[in-house]
Amino acid sequence: MKTTDIIRRAARSLANAKARTILTSLAIGVGAFTITVSLAAGQGAREYANNLINSNVNPQSLFVVADESIVGGGGLQSSIRVYDPDTTTTQGITVKQMTQEDIDMLADRDDLTNVMPIYQPSVQFMTFGDSTTRFVADVSTYNASIISGVAYGNVPPQGEAIAADEVVIPESYVQTLIDNKVIKNGSELVGKKVVMTAVQATASPTPEQIQAAFATGGETAVQSLLQPKTQTFSFKVRAVSAKSAEALTSTMSVQIAPDAARAISEFTTQGTPQYQKYFGATAIVKDGIDPVTVKESLAKDNLYAQTAQDLQGVVFTVVNTLQGIVLGFGVIALIASVFGIINTQYISVLERTREIGLMKALGMRGKSVSRLFQFEAAWIGFLGGIIGAGIAIVVGLLANPWITEMLGLSKGTSLLIFQPIPIAIMIIALIIIAMLAGWFPARKAAKLDPIEALRTE
Amino acid sequence: MIEVKNVTKTYGKKHSTFKALDDVSFSIPEGASVAIVGKSGSGKSTLMHAMSGLDRPESGEVIIDGTNILKLKSKAVDRFRSEKIGFIFQAFFVQANETCYDNVALPLEIARVSGTARKAQIVDALNIVELGDKVRQKARNLSGGQKQRLAIARAIVNKPSIIFADEPTGNLDSTTGEKVEDLLFGLNKQNGSTLIIVTHDADLASKCDMQIYVKDGKIDRIEGEQAAPVEEPEEVVVEKGPQDSREDSRHLKGVSRIGGDKESEEEE
Ligand SMILES: Nc1ncnc2c1ncn2[C@@H]1O[C@H](COP(=O)(O)OP(=O)(O)OP(=O)(O)O)[C@@H](O)[C@H]1O
Ligand SMILES: [Mg+2]
Repeated sequence: MKTTDIIRRAARSLANAKARTILTSLAIGVGAFTITVSLAAGQGAREYANNLINSNVNPQSLFVVADESIVGGGGLQSSIRVYDPDTTTTQGITVKQMTQEDIDMLADRDDLTNVMPIYQPSVQFMTFGDSTTRFVADVSTYNASIISGVAYGNVPPQGEAIAADEVVIPESYVQTLIDNKVIKNGSELVGKKVVMTAVQATASPTPEQIQAAFATGGETAVQSLLQPKTQTFSFKVRAVSAKSAEALTSTMSVQIAPDAARAISEFTTQGTPQYQKYFGATAIVKDGIDPVTVKESLAKDNLYAQTAQDLQGVVFTVVNTLQGIVLGFGVIALIASVFGIINTQYISVLERTREIGLMKALGMRGKSVSRLFQFEAAWIGFLGGIIGAGIAIVVGLLANPWITEMLGLSKGTSLLIFQPIPIAIMIIALIIIAMLAGWFPARKAAKLDPIEALRTE
Repeated sequence: MIEVKNVTKTYGKKHSTFKALDDVSFSIPEGASVAIVGKSGSGKSTLMHAMSGLDRPESGEVIIDGTNILKLKSKAVDRFRSEKIGFIFQAFFVQANETCYDNVALPLEIARVSGTARKAQIVDALNIVELGDKVRQKARNLSGGQKQRLAIARAIVNKPSIIFADEPTGNLDSTTGEKVEDLLFGLNKQNGSTLIIVTHDADLASKCDMQIYVKDGKIDRIEGEQAAPVEEPEEVVVEKGPQDSREDSRHLKGVSRIGGDKESEEEE
């Protein structure tokens, strides 16, 4: 029997058992739906992340650290090892820090520009304008390579830093400031004075230092030596940054210029081992030079870099893992539906014993009978795939604008992206799986003895 | 020309064996119409299965056009059946969910006849059995007689050289049965195909060129034309008068109308 004839007969006999066919297909459809959605969500998330990184991060930018475990490889250390004065321990994790020499070495390289260490400017409190209310907030360095949306005021174009006496305040502060009667509305914030008070870490003075102080200034000098030193830094608000879906880092801290950040962090760490030690540094690779080659050459100096591409890789790994989990559920649903196919097809063989007997009596080969049932299973797989993928696409396209709105993504962003080729591959895979499931019942049909089969009532 | 030589078919295992066919021999000339007659359980269907290559008796030969089909490989036997043989079964065995067209198409599909040649053959066959107006009807909507005619169309569509009909009129009332009989004999005469009918019905048997009487798996006697000399049956053949045969037929018809094999076996 010709394959086309077998396929047509298989389709007709399924059409004659519509309810059963649809129910069996639906079981596969559940798996197909889950897989289609996970494929679409994975693709959407990757494209979104890609857009985000491409539009926010200069592809030439590098993030350099002294500890390889930060940028991947080796995992975070936690076992015992020889003491290194350049390391710092936070929450039980020890990280090797960069020294000023490392920074100078980076600055001296002729393939890098804009080398800037990551300062950790921490202030005890800050006041706004004439208000005496003291606020506690994180302070971070303004990142000129990342664009951020602006609610009030303005920021310099990408690549240019703000002035040393300027700050950018996140929009999320506005409500708290209004609640505390510092301002009446957000726009009032622009141009306001901000005074930050930093405290120097208490370094226990040596006996010699105490003696020297006593000799020069008496008891008051010793007192002041033991008192923590404070210093105030004054700024004025340049802009209020907006929450933006396109911004890679939704900064929740007050941003200050690099010079100001250095001044604050050097003041607070003076006299401690943390003085001029940095968690890492950022740099821009000069145009025309591949960041990867710079990364490789830095590794020879025991400095480890993450390129914009590496960052993408990190994000993709997270997306892929999540996608894998959802995909796994789809596969479990498919495995369950395989038993459904085997069961329905067995029943179908039993029901159609006489028909099988007739076909074999008329000279149909066992192989053709077997293929007839396998193609029926294939049709079920195909239908299940089409139903599942179809529902997923319809639901996805309807839900896309809603998801975009819920997650606060910018208009026109689709988090579910349906691609024809993966869906086609999935449907083909479903057909093959269904045919494999149909193999057992098909073999039973092929082995039926026509005389016995025709005898059954 | 069909030659059956010393065919023996045994059912069951070692301790409870049953000889459904016991050393059966005869021959049928080409183009003849033959009735295989006998009581229920005598082995008529078994004999038909052996002659058509559906079954494989453990000993003997079935030689059709010079080939011993019992020696053929299963693939060749399937091919032989699909090309040379047409089957009509007592219980119609039409595919109720398929259209008349697709029912008749089945043997052609099995024989891998191309699509264009198929259509004309199917319409021809359906016209012969006067179902030309039911081409697109589902078989389940047909009456009993129409179903049997559909089964005949399916049996003849491939222009087989031998048609086997197992009780073709067993499930039909006498008028419809006669129509189907006329159709079968007409085809036999026109196309020259050999017609082998398994039947209880003495009337129908008497219309055939040749009657093979089977009893307990053995050939009881053979009437009508004889192509080749076959071993004389042991029992003395007593020719029945036409009166007797009519009585016989009435009795048997009654039985089959009540409901088939079981009752008739109990009666005997
Ligand atoms: N698979 C089998 N196993 C055991 N015995 C069988 C089998 N098939 C048939 N028989 C026996 O072989 C004998 C002949 O059966 P067969 O079907 O040929 O009878 P028949 O002459 O066609 O009867 P009917 O007119 O009722 O159809 C019967 O006694 C039957 O019980
Ligand atoms: Mg029978």
